[in-house]
Amino acid sequence: MSRSRLVAALCVVVASACGDDRDAAAFRVALLTPGSIADGGWNAGAYEGLREIRERLGAEVRHVETRTPAEFEEGFRDFAGRGYTLVFGHGFEYQEAAARVGAEFPETVFITTSGDTVRSNVAPMVFELEQATYLCGVLAARMTETGRIGLIGGIDLPSIRSTFQAFRGGVSATRSDVEVREVFIGNFDDTAAAREAALALLEEGADLLLHQANAAGRGVFRAVSDRAAAGARVFAFGINRDQNAMAPEVVLASATLDIPAAFVEVATRVREGRFTAEPVRLGMNEGIVHLVLNPRLRARIPAATLDEIDRIEASIRSGELVVPRGAF
Amino acid sequence: MEALLEASVRLAAPLLIAALGELWVERSGVVNIGIEGTMLSGAFAGFAAAVATGSPAVGLVAAAAAGCGVGILFATFAVVRKLDQIVVGMAVNLIALGATGLGARALYAGNPPAAPTLAALPVPGLAELPLLGPALFAQTPFVYAALGLAVVVGLGLSRTGAGLRLRAVGESARAADAEGIAVDRVRFRAVIAGSALAGVAGAVLTLSHSDVFTEGMTAGRGFIALAVVIFGRWSAGGVVGAALFFGAATALQFRLQARGAEIPYPVFLMFPYLVTLTVLAVAGGRARAPADLGRPYRREAPAG
Repeated sequence: MSRSRLVAALCVVVASACGDDRDAAAFRVALLTPGSIADGGWNAGAYEGLREIRERLGAEVRHVETRTPAEFEEGFRDFAGRGYTLVFGHGFEYQEAAARVGAEFPETVFITTSGDTVRSNVAPMVFELEQATYLCGVLAARMTETGRIGLIGGIDLPSIRSTFQAFRGGVSATRSDVEVREVFIGNFDDTAAAREAALALLEEGADLLLHQANAAGRGVFRAVSDRAAAGARVFAFGINRDQNAMAPEVVLASATLDIPAAFVEVATRVREGRFTAEPVRLGMNEGIVHLVLNPRLRARIPAATLDEIDRIEASIRSGELVVPRGAF
Repeated sequence: MEALLEASVRLAAPLLIAALGELWVERSGVVNIGIEGTMLSGAFAGFAAAVATGSPAVGLVAAAAAGCGVGILFATFAVVRKLDQIVVGMAVNLIALGATGLGARALYAGNPPAAPTLAALPVPGLAELPLLGPALFAQTPFVYAALGLAVVVGLGLSRTGAGLRLRAVGESARAADAEGIAVDRVRFRAVIAGSALAGVAGAVLTLSHSDVFTEGMTAGRGFIALAVVIFGRWSAGGVVGAALFFGAATALQFRLQARGAEIPYPVFLMFPYLVTLTVLAVAGGRARAPADLGRPYRREAPAG
């Protein structure tokens, strides 16, 4: 092959790799996650949702892990530029990038998972996980013997702060004499730090711990399991997914979010042209948020408390009780 | 107080093991900033081997072997090919982050099992001593090994022929070469040894501090180990002190948060690093790095 031919061939390859491969008929959906999809929680759920969108809606799907605001924007722009119909930014932190890139690509719909930024083609889906963490707070307040409860967070994001706020709301509505302490570890990956944070809270007398640390949350379960194995009466809560089986002897209940179902719901609306520029609220009534009690520990919860939880859940579902949440 | 001291020593252990390895490497005149990725590789290999065999001891061996492997990669480019050590180290970190993440996803599909861990091994009698008992005598074998290793590295550097040759190469590779010391061979071996220790340090995270591998879980500990070497002024005793200090600062910040101190948490997260910087700024003037640190040695290169 002559040199000029080789160059020409290379140009074709490069052009097809980065050019506009728009296909009007195809429904194409991309997902940007802020962390590893192997975290068994927040990001794994989104990826599962993306796969279900492919299976159920026949969409062509792509996923990219983006760690920094510059990468968020780059990811949005890349997929929008290639004619994707729908791009998910999986977290509160994607809002600014979505608004900025959304203005440049009016034909693509940008959905951020949580947030409050709305444009003609940008909207957040808002999970009411707070409904379930509120119930965890009620349960924790009834179960604590030391009168002290601990929260362990990854990074102090408004979405995480909001679930903590609802938890605290549930605690204080139930018992005014219970104290809630919190520790942030500064990332979502460091299981050793999460365990250390849990140990510090246990040392301070906390006997129930709720984490919001994604993959690192395994460190919390480890600390609580070890303490329980040593004879202490301590419990933890699972979050985002049903984590009851991760530490079946200590995880009392999980506040779950059916992220895959939420993704499919939103993608279906976009595909059928039912997208509206307003937050998509998804909670207990939409079947997206649940409080899942660990069947193995259910017997340790007093019957009166189980009744109370059921009653409060019913009033949340009816709209009679609006749980406190962060303004975002 | 006892719990705080115990946590300080526990948290210092991985830093100490990694920093002692890096100390050995740096005294030979090589800076290996790939230590972060090497730790991560050890954390992953140790976890995977322990899960596969059910034995944390096998995990430990695998972690050291993975460290050696990464060390060979680094030394091949940084020592043999004499490429820029910082660039090669950075490349090692990025490759390790990607490779271990890929490995974890391929093996466990997002749901890794729990690894068998090394249990604490209290020394009868001594573990019940007030104040320092739990901190020094109720720890996992990793902690005892780290403290023993400090003695070995300290004596090895100051009292053995190998240590003398290592220091000669680090201070003046040219002079050492003139004395007939094979500079690159000494450095290559130092990197392998140091990397094996970094691998073991990583395994502390998956086989003791937690029981699972998560991507990027070393969270900068390798870079802290680099700071520990500087803070410890390139001596084994200094490195022990610096690692313990850093462990204590980290243990303290978690406990201050748990005590409900009304200060924004990023201040706590910065705390160990701020203290280190402050101490370095105050004490750094008297620290002296090996004279040939970071300089690849080329026999034919003009002097200077």
